[in-house]
Amino acid sequence: MLASEADSVSFRRDVMPILFRAGCNAGTCHGSARGMDGFMLSLFGYDAKGDYFRIVNEMVGRRVNVAVPEQSLLLRKAIGAVPHTGGELFKPDSEYYQTLHRWIAAGAPDDADDVPDTVGIELSTERFVFERGGERSAVKVTAVYDDRSRRDVTTLARFHSNNPSVADIDEHGRVTAKSAGDTHVFARFSRFTAGVETIVLPPAEGFRWPDPAKNNYIDELVFDRLRKLRIAPSELCDDETFLRRVTLDLVAHPPTVEEYRAFMASTDPKKRADKIDQLLKDDAFADYWTTLWSEQLRIIGGNYAPYGTHVKAASAFHEWIRRQIRSGRPLNEMVDDMVVSSGSNLQNGPANLYTMLVHARRLNPKTFAADFSQVFLGIQIQCAECHNHPFDRWTMDDYYGFVSFFSGMKRKPGVETREQRIYYDTKASPALHLVDKRPMPAKVLGAVEPAKHNGDPRRALAAWLTSPDNEHFSRNLANRIWAQLFGRGVIHPVDDIRVSNPPSNAPLMNALARRLVESGFDLRSLVRDICNSRVYQLSSQPNASNKLDTRQFSRSYLRRLRADVLMDSFVAVTGMQRGFKDWPKNTKAIDFYPRTGGDTARAGCGDVFMETFGRSPRKSVSSTDTKLEPTLSQTLHLMVGNTLEPRLSANGRLNRIIKESATPEAALEELFILSLTRKPTAAETVGLRQLIGDAVNDEHVYRDIFWSLLNSTEFSFNH
Amino acid sequence: MNRRTVLQAGSLGALGLSMGDLFRLQAADNKAFTQASGAKKEAKALSVIQLHLGGGFQQQESFDPKPEAPVEIRGQFGVTKTKTGDHLSDNFPRTAKVADKLSIIRSVVGKVPDHGIATYHLFTGHTPTAVIDFPQMGSVVSHELGKRTEMPPYMMIPKKHGFMGGTGFLSSAHGPFELGSDPGGRSYQVRDFQIPKNVSIERLDRRQTARQIIEQRIRKLESDPNVLNTMDGFYKDAYSLLTSPKARAAFSLDDESEAMKQLYGSDVVGLKGPDNRYHPKGLAERLIVARRLVEAGVRFVTVTYGSWDCHFDVKRSTLDQMPALDAAIAGMVTDLDQRGLLDSTIFWVTSEFGRTPKINKDAGRDHHARCYSMLIAGGGFTRGQFYGASDATGAEPARDAAPLEDLLHTIYHQLGIDASKELLAFGTRPIEIIKGGKLVNGLIS
Repeated sequence: MLASEADSVSFRRDVMPILFRAGCNAGTCHGSARGMDGFMLSLFGYDAKGDYFRIVNEMVGRRVNVAVPEQSLLLRKAIGAVPHTGGELFKPDSEYYQTLHRWIAAGAPDDADDVPDTVGIELSTERFVFERGGERSAVKVTAVYDDRSRRDVTTLARFHSNNPSVADIDEHGRVTAKSAGDTHVFARFSRFTAGVETIVLPPAEGFRWPDPAKNNYIDELVFDRLRKLRIAPSELCDDETFLRRVTLDLVAHPPTVEEYRAFMASTDPKKRADKIDQLLKDDAFADYWTTLWSEQLRIIGGNYAPYGTHVKAASAFHEWIRRQIRSGRPLNEMVDDMVVSSGSNLQNGPANLYTMLVHARRLNPKTFAADFSQVFLGIQIQCAECHNHPFDRWTMDDYYGFVSFFSGMKRKPGVETREQRIYYDTKASPALHLVDKRPMPAKVLGAVEPAKHNGDPRRALAAWLTSPDNEHFSRNLANRIWAQLFGRGVIHPVDDIRVSNPPSNAPLMNALARRLVESGFDLRSLVRDICNSRVYQLSSQPNASNKLDTRQFSRSYLRRLRADVLMDSFVAVTGMQRGFKDWPKNTKAIDFYPRTGGDTARAGCGDVFMETFGRSPRKSVSSTDTKLEPTLSQTLHLMVGNTLEPRLSANGRLNRIIKESATPEAALEELFILSLTRKPTAAETVGLRQLIGDAVNDEHVYRDIFWSLLNSTEFSFNH
Repeated sequence: MNRRTVLQAGSLGALGLSMGDLFRLQAADNKAFTQASGAKKEAKALSVIQLHLGGGFQQQESFDPKPEAPVEIRGQFGVTKTKTGDHLSDNFPRTAKVADKLSIIRSVVGKVPDHGIATYHLFTGHTPTAVIDFPQMGSVVSHELGKRTEMPPYMMIPKKHGFMGGTGFLSSAHGPFELGSDPGGRSYQVRDFQIPKNVSIERLDRRQTARQIIEQRIRKLESDPNVLNTMDGFYKDAYSLLTSPKARAAFSLDDESEAMKQLYGSDVVGLKGPDNRYHPKGLAERLIVARRLVEAGVRFVTVTYGSWDCHFDVKRSTLDQMPALDAAIAGMVTDLDQRGLLDSTIFWVTSEFGRTPKINKDAGRDHHARCYSMLIAGGGFTRGQFYGASDATGAEPARDAAPLEDLLHTIYHQLGIDASKELLAFGTRPIEIIKGGKLVNGLIS
């Protein structure tokens, strides 16, 4: 039965869910901000009171006709008896129709105040595991109300699958397995979304679990998952590959020839772990992570910067971050400092959170709250500005309460033109709720009570945000660290964490976050664990079972080097510095951030190479601002542009290699180690030796080979 | 076999490699990741030149004037009669004279009046989602139709903008090639397009050969065939572009006469710049290069012009940027027609949305996506037509509303692509090229 027990039909409890289920209040129909064809409903029903008015009172006797219920437009449109852009939604003999009809016949009453409110939904199962495509099952949805009553709302819920080619779900909640893989199917009811993990297994025949050795908890959790999914991980990668991979990942340039020879010569069984420890101590590790933070926080410096984003402020912020990371400051403390900072943008580096995330005349609390949440929580709450988040738990109350943390954030001119003083105006009024315009005092996400504070609520915000108990925070940080080392988050993309975008391996995600908390939010501890895992050290060579895997970390995925790392790699290998406009000559690409002569709001990457190879222009906090896709322009640049040609023979390095090598073969080996951190294969030596021919002392032919090493896929990708 | 392949066959033959290994990409089936849906359609048009006016173009001062409306809607300009007896804003005298060769659509319906979302919507046909990144139209065309000649199928003049999206779930091989230099600028030279003087063609070949030898190892790992194919393809494409005189000539303005440039309005200026002098806008040269690229076989060229987000002083924005636009549109249509290219080339003038009917307190107009205008000519689109209409104030379509999806669907149709066809995202997930688009029969003939 759709209607509640007493047979009296409730607007909120019975009618609204039908409008939701039939899609009437979806964004593409009457739930659009402007409504549709003259009739507007609140999106997914966030405003029941308003919806009641629009259905019953806006056009008396038309949308509902209590005297002749079947003449109500609400019913006639829904069954397609009169022209309806949305077509026929259900039949007159359906329960949906009957319920609406009974409600109208009863006089279309509004609810008394005590109608039970939905507080959650429960699904009949947590996981589906199908042996093969074609198998079916079904999920039941139960709503739980604040009076503890429960009701089966399967016929009122809406369903979707995150990957219908793995498993699809129909409007009745029936799940059909399609092809091998793993995904989630979701049910939505009221403002709640809940998911069921759904696995479709590949055939068991021919699959044998190789039972690889496990180095730590990461291996246990990844291998446990892989085994369940009947995916065998790739083999452990060789020492050459490991050395190149970990050096590029941790210090952002390839290993030197000397480092290669020393590492390869060592017979110490702990040499991989030692190498990781050594790289973690390198300043370049901290510099690289400084840039990753600086990018997320949108640090750009301008020479003309009326909004507090002067080069001097940018530098104060960037260098402050560098000091925190070099000294191993716990990440939560670092974030805490930024959140509560006030004062001069030139003197107090972390206060620039409130200039750099903005790059505009005014700090708009809504925009700021959205960016803040995306950076520090990985959550995009901005959907809830206009309606409860349709695919997550965040409500408009959550959103406006969160925005109010920043409603007093202001800046005023300092003693000189470059200076802005950041302060919290304790007299500022909180954000107003969009629907009923009531003031929404500052409140952390998911809380019921507003935050306690003495005028500046940021102390309370920071305490909640960076607390070890705040899983949103620790998961976000752990996931971003993982993504930096694998090219993909356990939750992906890293800055769109929501109920309907679950981790590809939930126990792994939880363990990484827990480990980060237990280590005292120590970046190096988590990176050390990850790099020491066998999972990180797997080969990129796939096997029959993991060829198609792109999200379970069963092999190393090819990752193009970031623009800055690629440039620093060219510099490292050729020995010729690059330099950037308005920066000291020997500045590394990873230490460089955009500086502009003008206003930072319009700044770009600040460098043609960086732009061509997709470095983030820092125009937004979105992780997708960093582009790693290869393009034709990149190829042309590496083939004939001004980055490689002058470097091929720079500083006499190539000449020295030719002269100091006893044979052309030895010179080739040296060039391969220098460029690709490996010795040439036999086929390569034969083929390239043939190209050299008699010209054993001709620098040109070596230069051409050096060119081809630097133009190889192996060079520009980590693998 | 040409000299280059002989050279490669010679040195690689010793390694037991076949030519097949070397030209893997060439063999890679263009439709490998496409789910076919019925027979291939017949193409009416071979190419598209999209002139994009970023920022939100004022339809009231251009294609959809409201001379009868009160001044706060009508604005500061009058109208001019077109060759077909209709009216355009009097900012469009040259275009009015060629109105018999083009269609103006006055009832385009977008979705969201936000630059980022609307630009993405225009370029991909979808509003952005967190789960799926949709490919740009030019990328879909490249994916579906492949190359016509050695030229990259999709190009941007002078370069792309972040809002336009990218290749989405398609390989970056289908991304636009950006000139990286403005044909209308004083020092126009396509970026990274010149073989260094000290590198002979023999050495360029030797470099390619050495690279192929080194690529074999990662090839054998078969880690990610898509990435490797894409990289291979780029090196092959880059080589043919760099070494083909025909390709190089396609980018150059050297063969174009002064008269031709003036036909496109190269001498038309707007308002004085901050230096108190007049400056040509460079649009004429951009469009001429676009036409040359289409002649050389490019399928989709996107040209950008101007900055149209006129929240302040719509009159100034109009007086400064519109004259060169009018001249360039008329020149482009006339030139394509004279060359017999208009029937096979779609010339499409776009903006992510229009402007609000009422002029605001700053004498500007704000964002308006519910009803705006576009111009489209050639490629089988009806000549001399004003399609659809906005209501008295221009707020809503009054008849023949044309949702953006329908327009894109129709352009795809003319190119021989069924836009209801599904592409496979991530190798497994079917996604329609355009969701719910319908063919607008009234636009084509």
